[in-house]
Amino acid sequence: MTAQWHETVNVDELWEGDMTAVTVDGENVLLINVDGQVRAYTNSCPHQAGPLDEGDFDGEKLTCLRHMWEFDADTGCGINPDNAQLKTFGCKVADDGTIYVDIGR
Amino acid sequence: MVVVGGGVGGAAAVGELRRAGFDGGITLICAENAVPYQRPPLSKDFLLNGAAATNCDVQPPDWYSQQEIELLLGVRAAQLDLAAKTVTLSDGGTISYDSLLLATGVRPRTLPGIDGEGVCYLRTMGDAAELLDRIHAAEHVAVLGGGFIGCEVAAAAVRLGKRVTILEALPTLLQRALGTTMGELIAGIHRGEGADVRTGQFVSGIRRRGRGLSVITGDGTVDCDVLVVGVGTLPNQELADRAGLPVGNGIDVDEYCATQAPGVYAIGDVAAQHLPSYGRLVRVEHYDTAIRQGRTAARNMLGAREAFTDIHWFWSDQYEHSIQSAGITDNPDDVVMRGSAEQRSLSAFQLNGDRIRSVISLNRPKDVLDVRRLLAREHSVTAAQLRDESAPLKRLAPPPQRAATAN
Repeated sequence: MTAQWHETVNVDELWEGDMTAVTVDGENVLLINVDGQVRAYTNSCPHQAGPLDEGDFDGEKLTCLRHMWEFDADTGCGINPDNAQLKTFGCKVADDGTIYVDIGR
Repeated sequence: MVVVGGGVGGAAAVGELRRAGFDGGITLICAENAVPYQRPPLSKDFLLNGAAATNCDVQPPDWYSQQEIELLLGVRAAQLDLAAKTVTLSDGGTISYDSLLLATGVRPRTLPGIDGEGVCYLRTMGDAAELLDRIHAAEHVAVLGGGFIGCEVAAAAVRLGKRVTILEALPTLLQRALGTTMGELIAGIHRGEGADVRTGQFVSGIRRRGRGLSVITGDGTVDCDVLVVGVGTLPNQELADRAGLPVGNGIDVDEYCATQAPGVYAIGDVAAQHLPSYGRLVRVEHYDTAIRQGRTAARNMLGAREAFTDIHWFWSDQYEHSIQSAGITDNPDDVVMRGSAEQRSLSAFQLNGDRIRSVISLNRPKDVLDVRRLLAREHSVTAAQLRDESAPLKRLAPPPQRAATAN
């Protein structure tokens, strides 16, 4: 299946160490800038669907404040618990800074 | 390696043993006939959404065989022989160990004469399934004990449309754990949701009333269809006690989660751990601590010598409200408040000199995360700084890198 790239925000609005929630074709997506690399995840904690954009991002670790589940912001892999995984979406930044996300549909 | 107890702590320990590279035999002894599961949902989502919609498994059932972990279900450790290094099982078998972890947990404290049909204690998934059926069939649910279990079950029952009465002996709900101010806020939340919160109530017994019950209190009686009792727990320390290990309020362990017997460790709800920073034994009955202690103990079973220094943390969800805490609060009435009681956004900090000792928060999880980080670092704080919401908590610790390069 070919990627369906959806335009979201500009990377100028998403500084290093920042995260923001966007809606892509009805899907709640978390955009997070990890050391200059933008990542896109579902904006919902796999534990009890807490909104991740209301959580804490210290530059490396993303914490859902509902029950303090922690994720590696770069990979979406669970740190605590370590068998969790954030749903990851394709994500790219165009030359003009526009962040495109592919939610798989 | 033998682990006694199939709660989250025991399950975390066996996982950590494998993760750390141990490739020898591991046996996990589970008294219940179920793969290890998480108990926190049993008083919350399990009641609200039902068993089918609530997956509580710590690991998928086939994970244990994949990890070559021998899982004994429905089997108890009946006897422990420290000299022979063997555990005798309730099915008559005996297994020997090089290193043993006791994670036997706690059981609900029961009240004499308050038992039988319609009286529910909540600990296991079986208990929760029965409670769920009874709550669904009930019109009026009475809860004896305004602690975490009682408050969470009450919140679920209210949400399920039941008339709910909470009976608590102390002047307010959750008083011992959260203090008077926070307890009153929680009581106000329950009352606002329609629960009948009656504090200062001493229950002396129950009477059968048709298919229901009458709960006898100092002020009269409360009629109900089901009575949920949550009045604390007793540590399952008899196995250790009979084997000659020191026990008091739980199985005594040092900061390495080790008992006095070589190679024998204890963790989780049953473990009373000596914490040098507190200068006393601390027995914590919370999910996160059991898991973290389980991991530390597993590494120590493999030869590490790692003190348990993780920050204690717990949560309770009631209705849409989030209670969380970091650190260990000794006196929840000797606290500094931040936030607004009216807006139900409040944190209670206990100080130890110019350091934060703990925080208990209602709907302010960010404070809890900040404190969790501060507790692991040098910091200095005054009560005035904590009260001032415009002063971010994270600024209380010096940024180490910048401080280092300033010279």
